[in-house]
Amino acid sequence: MANITKKVSWSSRGDEAGAAWEGTPLLNGSERPSVSRQLSGERRLFQIGRLSTVDLDEEITAEEDSTSWKPKEIPHNEKLLSLKFESLDYDNIENQLFLEEERRMSFLGFRCLEISRWVVCGLIGVLTGLIACFIDIVVEKLAGIKYQVIKENIVQFTEAGGLSISLILWAVLNCAFVMLGAIMVACFEPIAGGSGIPQIKCYLNGVKIPRVVRLKTLVVKVFGVICSVVGGLAVGKEGPMIHSGAVVAAGVSQGRSTSLKRDFKIFEYFRRDTEKRDFVSAGAAAGVSAAFGAPVGGVLFALEEGASFWNQMLTWRIFFASMISTFTLNFFLSIYHHKPGELSNPGLINFGRFESETMAYNFYEIPLFIAMGALGGALGALFNVLNYWLTIFRIRYVHRPCLQVMEAMLVAAVTAAVSFIMIYFSNDCQPLGPDNSEEYPLQLFCADGEYNSMATAFFNTPERSVRSLFHNPAGTYNPLTLGLFTLTYFFLACWTYGLSVSAGVFIPSLLIGAAWGRLCGILLASIAQADSTWADPGKYALIGAAAQLGGIVRMTLSLTVILVEATGNVTYGLPIMLALMTAKIVGDYFQEGLYDIHIKLQSVPFLHSEAPATSHWLTAREVMSSPVTCFNKVEKVGTIVDVLSNTSTNHNGFPVVVQVSDNDEPAKLCGLILRSQLIVLLKHKVFVELAQSRLTQRKLQLKDFRDAYPRFPPIQSIHVSQDERECMMDLTEFMNPTPYTVPQDTSLPRVFKLFRALGLRHLVVVDDENRVVGLVTRKDLARYHLGKHGLEEMHLAQT
Amino acid sequence: MSPRNLGLFFVFSVLNVCRLVLSDVGNVIASDSAENLKQVSDPSPPGSAGANSPPVFKPAVDFAFPLSLLSSFPEDLEISEYCRELLAVFGQRYVAYANCLVPAARPVKVCQNCFSGFGSLKEIYTNISSDKVGPVNESCRDSLLHSDRLMLVYLLFSSVEDIWKKSACDQCVSDGYQSLNNGTLYFLDVLNETIACFEKYRQGNLTELCTNCKSFYKSLNDLYGQKEQNQSLCIDLEDAMNMTRKLWSKSFNCSFPREETVPVIAVSSFMLFLPIIFYLSSFLHSEQKKRKLIHRE
Repeated sequence: MANITKKVSWSSRGDEAGAAWEGTPLLNGSERPSVSRQLSGERRLFQIGRLSTVDLDEEITAEEDSTSWKPKEIPHNEKLLSLKFESLDYDNIENQLFLEEERRMSFLGFRCLEISRWVVCGLIGVLTGLIACFIDIVVEKLAGIKYQVIKENIVQFTEAGGLSISLILWAVLNCAFVMLGAIMVACFEPIAGGSGIPQIKCYLNGVKIPRVVRLKTLVVKVFGVICSVVGGLAVGKEGPMIHSGAVVAAGVSQGRSTSLKRDFKIFEYFRRDTEKRDFVSAGAAAGVSAAFGAPVGGVLFALEEGASFWNQMLTWRIFFASMISTFTLNFFLSIYHHKPGELSNPGLINFGRFESETMAYNFYEIPLFIAMGALGGALGALFNVLNYWLTIFRIRYVHRPCLQVMEAMLVAAVTAAVSFIMIYFSNDCQPLGPDNSEEYPLQLFCADGEYNSMATAFFNTPERSVRSLFHNPAGTYNPLTLGLFTLTYFFLACWTYGLSVSAGVFIPSLLIGAAWGRLCGILLASIAQADSTWADPGKYALIGAAAQLGGIVRMTLSLTVILVEATGNVTYGLPIMLALMTAKIVGDYFQEGLYDIHIKLQSVPFLHSEAPATSHWLTAREVMSSPVTCFNKVEKVGTIVDVLSNTSTNHNGFPVVVQVSDNDEPAKLCGLILRSQLIVLLKHKVFVELAQSRLTQRKLQLKDFRDAYPRFPPIQSIHVSQDERECMMDLTEFMNPTPYTVPQDTSLPRVFKLFRALGLRHLVVVDDENRVVGLVTRKDLARYHLGKHGLEEMHLAQT
Repeated sequence: MSPRNLGLFFVFSVLNVCRLVLSDVGNVIASDSAENLKQVSDPSPPGSAGANSPPVFKPAVDFAFPLSLLSSFPEDLEISEYCRELLAVFGQRYVAYANCLVPAARPVKVCQNCFSGFGSLKEIYTNISSDKVGPVNESCRDSLLHSDRLMLVYLLFSSVEDIWKKSACDQCVSDGYQSLNNGTLYFLDVLNETIACFEKYRQGNLTELCTNCKSFYKSLNDLYGQKEQNQSLCIDLEDAMNMTRKLWSKSFNCSFPREETVPVIAVSSFMLFLPIIFYLSSFLHSEQKKRKLIHRE
């Protein structure tokens, strides 16, 4: 029989050898056989990464392999796909166990499931709201203390002299907080860095990002974001809320925590990727809705960013979770603000109400909004380009945790220094408002009874600065202040995003946009006749903020709705939409969105909604990986263990075949089995011989697979004795008997569509006699992308 | 009283003219003529300054019954003598209060000068609006306050009350509107000391003023800050403080100069240089992270 596994036969040794390998890290989930690839007709010129092809019949021995296999090393770039990422199993495995369970389940059982789905969504909403509330209150308290201390110090030293000491105090306080946050992220959980939106986007796309939905990640994320916001970085706490919501969802829906080793024995049915993914999208939506007070925006965010898998009931449940989350947050914040029961003050960031007369807009302002959208797109693209180069530099050179912590601290210190200089040299003094709308007014060198206007922008948490830019009456800021603020904050925010602290980019973008938008408003007002009131700076600040944010993240529908909901004024829908549209069109001309850039730079095999445009001539034969490691329906345990422990291949899905004739021709496909299933089988020693000898042995159930989910033990931890290696294992019951297959000549877009729409992990390519010729996985599809020179192919790399 | 009567007379004569012209008309035209009337009666006030409001009052009441203007109402619809008296007193006190307010507008002294006026006005209004039944066995509340759409007495008083609330005079005046409260008096004392000091040194060198009056100014400033936190400030004090601050910072130029530019720049440029060093050193010394390519052979 043509069992291709013999190609890697060097690994088939005893258990002793297996123990020795434990030192070498198991390559997490490479699904790609790195063994020879079949020569597939004519070679294409574009194939850069593949240097040579090896004939299928040529035997590669272990020695040859290890000597000839000299990995080429290149600096990190965006055109790589990492081996560390696997797919999630969104396809239901309809094996016999599953069918049996379904048969056993009563009608009532299904109703209960449906109800528990709603319960889980409600819990997700409540917990996400609580987390948002916690973050909000802690940030407010700590930032309040920090600014109070610094303010007192500044007041004291303005009189006595020695303001440089205040500067140092400010910088040190910032550094201390940021150091705390950066250490948590860099040393304990690097995946908790950044806003988390790219990671959640990948997860919803079907990529399993290691550790992204763990409890530890959540803890680090929450405390990290508190530290970075209190530390005065140019960041917001909204992006991390989305990640937090997703983690909450992934945790709650499982009814247990692997980290805490607690199993509540509930929601066991949901312990698989398909169900979990639905809840994670609900969690992400709940996060958005808590962050912006925008329940509909949250649902649309989940739709836009994770749109792969969708149905009506799910949408309705997600909406439920979002709504619950917003109103949980409102409820607890109302208690905190001593107005219990008042539910109408939503969101972590509250844009305030845009309802006054001057906030109305006119038909003739529409072109202005569009122009501002274009400006936002251009500035956003600039932001993204700068951040792209910075991120590449960081990945290449600043990769050690201690360096990352240091970098974050430096950014914090510089942020403080720059802010201080700006405040120090600002001559923009404004009279104190009647109701003390400024939280921490700094007088510095202003006349008594006035405050430094630059300080309201810099000496404040970013959320408050945004609000004051939106709502302070005309004349609160002078144009020079705003111009300088925009410039410095633009570079600070760009520099800050991508540090290893957990922090979002929403608020800084809004702030930059609001600053230059307000500047536009002021300039327009000075051009317009003196008596006209249409050029209200607050209105332009809002449009500017929308345009800038759209230019950076390039979200469309959900962002429009989020902003409209956050302002609480539906009539702004049109201008915000126009600004975002223009921003996206202009921005896309230069550079991708920030999140897409970061996904690419992390070498994630991300499947976009469509296959690259010019790829119809590629067929499955060229795309697929081959040869494929297959198992027989009844396979020897030793073979299975050897294949699973092979570090150089590390496949995750194995077609199961039956031999039709005795000669060497490829066998026919009859099913597909996953690594995780095999591991569970090996762990429970489901061997044919044992089953015969021990009649009482409990039959393996689907529950056993669920209990092991999602952290299946590595193969090295499973002990298989020499005797057991000789046993046989019957896979019939456990394999998926009807895997999706495509003929060899299927075009790439067709394969892509099937893959994307069904959320597949493996797609078997068969010939006309149903014999396995290859396997298409996510990385085979993700590596094609449309570059400047037509279709390009990405390299695979170890990261 | 005389300007008021004069105004009344004028209005009535105009009305008469109207009635003669449109002898038998319904309500619609009558209300039209009300418009005319307003326009006509508008120019009349200049002679009667702040007291022009009461004359409009009567006709407005009467206009609900345009056909019986000249003749008086039957006994039960007419307001009683008692209420009429109350109304007259209200009018007097209103005028007195308004006369007090206007000159106190700038610099703001509306609380210090006019608190007693407000007190008496409020007293009479309370009388009018109370349930208490007068000597002729009827309450004036209904007949004076809510018998018509305009509710002029109420409107007048509420606008005055609005001014009072906005100026936060309650914070400065003792209960019962007898006098200014102690905190305010003390503050005014300190303020006067400060101003006196300003006056004393004003002619000479301003730096001398800054040093000599600093203690006064500072104690005033501190007191103000304290009162600000207790929210025991009224507009008088706020305005006085504002003026003093303006004098101090703008006219006398006594606020802090920006003089430690050099150390601030030194410290911050040191901080700005740190990242450059950091990135350079990590570029030069840190090992570049390479990715091992996996060849798909």
